[in-house]
Amino acid sequence: MAAREPSRYLTRALPRASVPSIRPQGFLSRRNVSDEAPARRLSDHLTELESASSLSTVVPNSAAASFDPLARAAARKNQLPRGRYQFRSPKYNRGPLHPHQPPPPSHPSSRLFVPGPFSAPRAEQTFDSTVSPDIMTLCYVHTPPGFKPPPKSARLREWDDSSPYHKNRVLRGPRGGDVLRLLRKPIKFNNIPEIERITIHSYVKNAATERNSSWLHVAGIAVQAISNVRVETFKSKSNVAPWGIASGRDSVAVKAELFGENMYHFLGKLVDVVLPRIKDWEGVKGSSGDSSGNITFGLVPENVALFPELEINYDMYPPKMIPGCHITLHTTAKTDKDARLLLSAMGIPFYGKIVN
Amino acid sequence: MNINFANLRNLPDSIAAPSTSVHLDNPLYYLYRHCRTTSSNMSMHTSLRRTAVTITNSTTTILPTRLPTQSSGTTFICSQCRHATLLRRPKRPYTFTQLITLSDGSTFTHRTTSPAPIYRSTRDTRNSLLWNPSSSKLMNVEDDEAGRLAAFRARFGRSYDASAPVAEDEAAKDPAAAKQAEADAKAQAKMDQDEEDNLLDLISAFGQTEAPPPPEKKVPKYSGKK
Repeated sequence: MAAREPSRYLTRALPRASVPSIRPQGFLSRRNVSDEAPARRLSDHLTELESASSLSTVVPNSAAASFDPLARAAARKNQLPRGRYQFRSPKYNRGPLHPHQPPPPSHPSSRLFVPGPFSAPRAEQTFDSTVSPDIMTLCYVHTPPGFKPPPKSARLREWDDSSPYHKNRVLRGPRGGDVLRLLRKPIKFNNIPEIERITIHSYVKNAATERNSSWLHVAGIAVQAISNVRVETFKSKSNVAPWGIASGRDSVAVKAELFGENMYHFLGKLVDVVLPRIKDWEGVKGSSGDSSGNITFGLVPENVALFPELEINYDMYPPKMIPGCHITLHTTAKTDKDARLLLSAMGIPFYGKIVN
Repeated sequence: MNINFANLRNLPDSIAAPSTSVHLDNPLYYLYRHCRTTSSNMSMHTSLRRTAVTITNSTTTILPTRLPTQSSGTTFICSQCRHATLLRRPKRPYTFTQLITLSDGSTFTHRTTSPAPIYRSTRDTRNSLLWNPSSSKLMNVEDDEAGRLAAFRARFGRSYDASAPVAEDEAAKDPAAAKQAEADAKAQAKMDQDEEDNLLDLISAFGQTEAPPPPEKKVPKYSGKK
């Protein structure tokens, strides 16, 4: 079909091509591409086209008879090398237009694939079986049938049209500060707050002041040991002269992010084994939290050394270099009050004035 | 583009490769570099774009400012380039399964980097006071079997530690006092009931109101030495 299209135009164009150009040639020094066209006859192009179609060729019977892949595989004495039958993901991602695309990270052949989960952590089972029904019951708000909540005013304020310039202007932020807090929806079966991820962050003070990378190595390995996750290192973003750090120069911090299985294993270990062993620990301060459901607390180096992973080969770590860390528990709760309810149900005690 | 580049190849460097700021914008420069790097005679019908691509492949650096003959003195090898991102295999530390035995004998397993198969804890949530606030066993209670400490307090103690358990005997003797005590107990029960109602209200009111936005924190801006 597509091959037939140009021929229709060609038949029309052929007589026109044979007509000599009416423009006088040789008088102008300027040359155009269209001037060159009659030099090559269009009929020459037609002779280059193949007359036979590849679709009409007939496969000989001998070729069809010899094609027997099953017998060929059975006759093979030793197994094919792995590269002959196993798909191997490309090493590089060369962009969306490249013909060789890596498989998605969820696919087992992908280079980014992380297998798992392999276990059902105890803390997760506790959450599923006990904590989440409790939270849903505690947060249940009964409304009689036909109840309509009173309408709330808009969070962003409109401009009073006192000026003609108010037209199409973006809305104003809330009164008393331009931060829009997260909206808390009533907690139902499908939005019970749960722990989303845990971040273990450790700023190593001596990494910048002493020109020695060993502080960061020890901190990284210690955080990796307690979290089961490879850490990332971070350079300082700002210049603070008293601390001796300059932006972009010094690697000063390590961070591990825990999700899913690792996260619940870490939480269970933290609550059941580590926190009770801390001397004179009152709990997490009640005023901690970022008012959107993430609670942070810190552990000093002596407390980090109480983790069973560091304890088992405590001699491997230089005692002075064991880092302290900040542990942030990110929850899907929208307010700190809900997050504290969840975390205290999971076994983290809070003390002092509870600020929500 | 039927342009003859044959004589361009013979030009000296100073003419054909002008300063950096000029040749970056000039597509002819890439063509020139291609002519110099490839030994075979170039076909004149290849497009300019195509030659620019071949030059990046042949020199292994993405920066077009660097000539292929130059080599940097640093040992750092930039294997990343703009059109190919290395897909790094995620690194995961090896983990073992460990059985944790709590102090009351209950056990659970978890995955850990510690190679010890069993961890026995002596101090955990089962025997620390913070997690068992009502446990009398864990309270720091003095045992005073002979009553000597109580006797000492009765004699020398101040008001806060001198307890007065003597009132019960008086109530048993006097019927009027017993009646009074009964009335007190009733009032107490009523108050308890009221308090329970208040607690129920508290529970049902949980989450009704949106949390008020916290007051603006005045964070002192850190100003470094200027």
